[in-house]
Amino acid sequence: MKPGPLARHAGVRRLGAPYDRRGVTDTSRIRNFCIVAHIDHGKSTLADRLLEITHAVSERDMRAQYLDKMDLERERGITIKAQAVRLTHEVRGQVYELNLIDTPGHVDFTYEVSRSLAACEGAVLLVDAAQGIEAQTLANFHLARDAGLAIVPVLNKIDLPAAQPDEVARELAAVVGCDAADVLRVSAKTGEGVTALLERVVERVPAPGGAREDPLRALIFDSSFDPYRGVVAYVRVHDGVLPSRSRVRLMAAGIESDAEEAGVFAPEPTPVPELGPGEVGYLVTGLKDVHQVKVGDTITLSGKGAAREPLPGYREPKPMVWSGLFPAEGGDYGDLRDALDRLKLSDSALHYEPETSQALGFGFRCGFLGLLHMDIVKERLEREFGLELIATAPNVEFHVVRGSEVTVVHNPSEMPPPGTFDVVREPVVLATIITPSDYLGAVLELCQSRRGEMLDLRYLSPDRAEVHYRLPLAEIIFDFFDQLKSRTRGYASLDYEPWGYEEADLVRVDVLLHGEPVDAFSSVVHRDKAYQYGRAMVERLKELIPRQLFDVAIQAAIGSRIIARETVKAKRKDVLAKCYGGDITRKRKLLEQQKKGKARLRRVGRVDVPQEAFIAALRVDQRSGVRP
Amino acid sequence: MSAGIYVHVPFCLTRCGYCDFNAVAGMDHLRSRYVAALLREADLVSGEWTEEEFVSIFVGGGTPTTLDPGDLKTLLTRVRARFRVRGDAEVTVEANPDTVDAVSLERLLAAGFERLSLGAQSFDGHVLRALERVHPPEAVRRAVRQARAAGYRNLNLDLIYGAEGETLESWERTLLETIDLGPEHVSAYALTIEPSTPLGRKVRAGLARPPDPDLQADMFLLAGETLASAGYQHYEVSNWARPGFACVHNLGYWERRPYAGLGAGAHAFRGDRRWWNVRPPEQYLQLVEAGRAPIGGEERLDSFDAYLEELLLRLRTLRGVPASWVYPGDAEPYLEGGLLEDRDGYLVPTERGMLLLNELVLGPASGPAGPGRRDAAPGARAIPGPGWPARTGPRTPPWGLLTM
Repeated sequence: MKPGPLARHAGVRRLGAPYDRRGVTDTSRIRNFCIVAHIDHGKSTLADRLLEITHAVSERDMRAQYLDKMDLERERGITIKAQAVRLTHEVRGQVYELNLIDTPGHVDFTYEVSRSLAACEGAVLLVDAAQGIEAQTLANFHLARDAGLAIVPVLNKIDLPAAQPDEVARELAAVVGCDAADVLRVSAKTGEGVTALLERVVERVPAPGGAREDPLRALIFDSSFDPYRGVVAYVRVHDGVLPSRSRVRLMAAGIESDAEEAGVFAPEPTPVPELGPGEVGYLVTGLKDVHQVKVGDTITLSGKGAAREPLPGYREPKPMVWSGLFPAEGGDYGDLRDALDRLKLSDSALHYEPETSQALGFGFRCGFLGLLHMDIVKERLEREFGLELIATAPNVEFHVVRGSEVTVVHNPSEMPPPGTFDVVREPVVLATIITPSDYLGAVLELCQSRRGEMLDLRYLSPDRAEVHYRLPLAEIIFDFFDQLKSRTRGYASLDYEPWGYEEADLVRVDVLLHGEPVDAFSSVVHRDKAYQYGRAMVERLKELIPRQLFDVAIQAAIGSRIIARETVKAKRKDVLAKCYGGDITRKRKLLEQQKKGKARLRRVGRVDVPQEAFIAALRVDQRSGVRP
Repeated sequence: MSAGIYVHVPFCLTRCGYCDFNAVAGMDHLRSRYVAALLREADLVSGEWTEEEFVSIFVGGGTPTTLDPGDLKTLLTRVRARFRVRGDAEVTVEANPDTVDAVSLERLLAAGFERLSLGAQSFDGHVLRALERVHPPEAVRRAVRQARAAGYRNLNLDLIYGAEGETLESWERTLLETIDLGPEHVSAYALTIEPSTPLGRKVRAGLARPPDPDLQADMFLLAGETLASAGYQHYEVSNWARPGFACVHNLGYWERRPYAGLGAGAHAFRGDRRWWNVRPPEQYLQLVEAGRAPIGGEERLDSFDAYLEELLLRLRTLRGVPASWVYPGDAEPYLEGGLLEDRDGYLVPTERGMLLLNELVLGPASGPAGPGRRDAAPGARAIPGPGWPARTGPRTPPWGLLTM
């Protein structure tokens, strides 16, 4: 077997590890926990501090936010991939194995969060002592509590001058249902209170159950792709024992494989002879396709030792947001395809299928978990693969119902014309918004204007309110978050979870240039907003489309009905005036320059549209909140 | 081949905000050295031009009439002595109205400058101020009267349209006043904002408004109508003349005939080579005084450059392009759209076509990469014609006439 990067630390064992003579950990000395926190509330810094205090990472290897692997993650301050790290810590003379499972902290990844939580018995609920509870924290707290996890409420950043520990502790205690005195106070930055936190975790988080004798059931809560060793699953053993090398069966996927190595993150990958009940680690699955190793699936042994029932809660990852990605240079189509194929190796949630646009040429219709996921994929395609892309405006998936037949549409241009179907259903979400009370009016107004239906409103404290809304997902991906931020000066926070499909009066608005529909500009919107959308689109395009030899009509239409129109007047003058002292060279160079510019035009029907116009017209304007 | 000589005099009384020509103000102390350098340069470079017969001499600027008429006479005498200049060659000098008077005009004509080109620019005082021209409208009328009195029979007035604040009505008055003065030739240029000029900087800073291209188009068409009804022929995008008075020298540029250049920044052209002198007057002086040709740069035109220039320049004039140069069908949309006319097998731009010359040459978008295009066929014949291989690939006209 070729040793890969995961084998770098083979054979490393740390002193004082809680193994008995046979190398088997006593489950009563295992604690599996995660940290639930809002972005920027200091989760990664706390994880760093935990690694330091438990000597899992030497100071030399310590780099800020150790667990966030990708550069992009560190730059954006978010965690995309969940990871698990084994810490050992002595409390009252006993050495404990503490498995810290890092959860993704973004609404796009709710399902991944829920699987990470399913690998734990406890959650540290971390709240910034200056900021207070945010929607994301609350949503994840509810997920954790519903999953039956023990909650350890903790205030972070108590060293900040703006910290209001007493107030936020009261808020937190009210949410968790504990005494404010029970809320731990730490500073992940200075390390104050972090040792006490470890003790509290040992004390409050129950030891995992599970028996060695039972058939193996291990939950896959994440996976990654190693170029040398294939797909690595991050697993939590619930029952039985996972030997380092064995033939395993992935129950939901229905496939078997010869697993090559089990190990733990300490925090570098370290092989172990086996993972016993309650333990968390990794398995080199021997599989090469990341799509076979699905988060939420259950690993068992092949043959006689197989479990009958998988662990509950598995769900197929499902794209929520779709967008067409097209190479800015038509010739880069092959490069884009190769880049997507490569990204897919490490991103099992990414969907794509070829798409041909009359206006933008060959590209792909891609499905993402959410807007953040979309941005990350786009940025990686541009940054890691050097591609220049045109992305169409994101849209959700629609269900078009004709009698008993349901067609799934995830490209606006495939939306059938009005009158040819019975109803359309669109995805809706349950949104949780936490806002300072001062901005409550603005938040409610925003939600109402986005076809929201209020379900619940309550005050966390006199200053802060929690609102629950049922909202169409299409409205959320329509720059909702930016609007929310700007209307609340950045103080409100948002989380949402899928809430099924509902009927809606949706229409496709087409944009026509000189009578020709431009498929890339088609959008499915609610009938009440069709005019506003059409108006904004034609006005923006009027600014972007250069004058042609003839008047160009820019129209927005629902079916054959025109709802908005602008005209780009014909160009009348395009000539170089004087040539000075026989300087023909300059004149020719100017013309050659102009010729180059024209190479970046795309012809739609008879109209020439610059590349930049597509990019600008399809961009959601974050400042004005007007889309296009 | 009949050739021209351009002589550049960079000095001006003041620098105008829109002008990006090689001109300087406040360097009058260099004048005598400059004249001496021009004479020396004629000595230095004329040896290269023994094959050509010269049919025009054009002294431009700057403002050549900031030099003494005596100096200009010496200059012309030297040029005639060093180059093979035909006796009936057209000899032009440019002048600003406030740098000439009855006496100097007489002396210039006597020296052999038989064509006078006056920088009138406008007869609207507001427009002249917007252009930062120092002369009042009256100065133009006076200069024309004096020139006629001196005996000038070939006068040009230069006009500029589209300055900030100029209306179609004001432009019409300028045109009518021009016609009233009865020059043999009129040049009317659309004001162009050059980024490197003070006006260009003002526009960028939002302190001045750039010309409205639609208004300038109307002004262009108005000039065409007004001047045509007064008997002027529109023979080049910016030039009108009474029959027999088209500018021989400028036609040389459009027809790609050779020309020599003397003076700072002057360009020369012959065959497949174009070269130019250094622009800064001091640098020019130093080189010439050291006995060296003051060349600042050169370029070799490949077949594509030559073809592009030929197409571009021919379409500026009534000569037009032989229809056989253009792929069958490429010209149709423009003929149908009234931008081109077919005159005896030549494609000639209409008034509207002249306004859209870049469009005629390049088309609204670059065409498909056919076998005739530059990348596909390096070293292809300069001029396409019958027998060119058919183009492949989908295309929707119009593509423009540029087929390489």
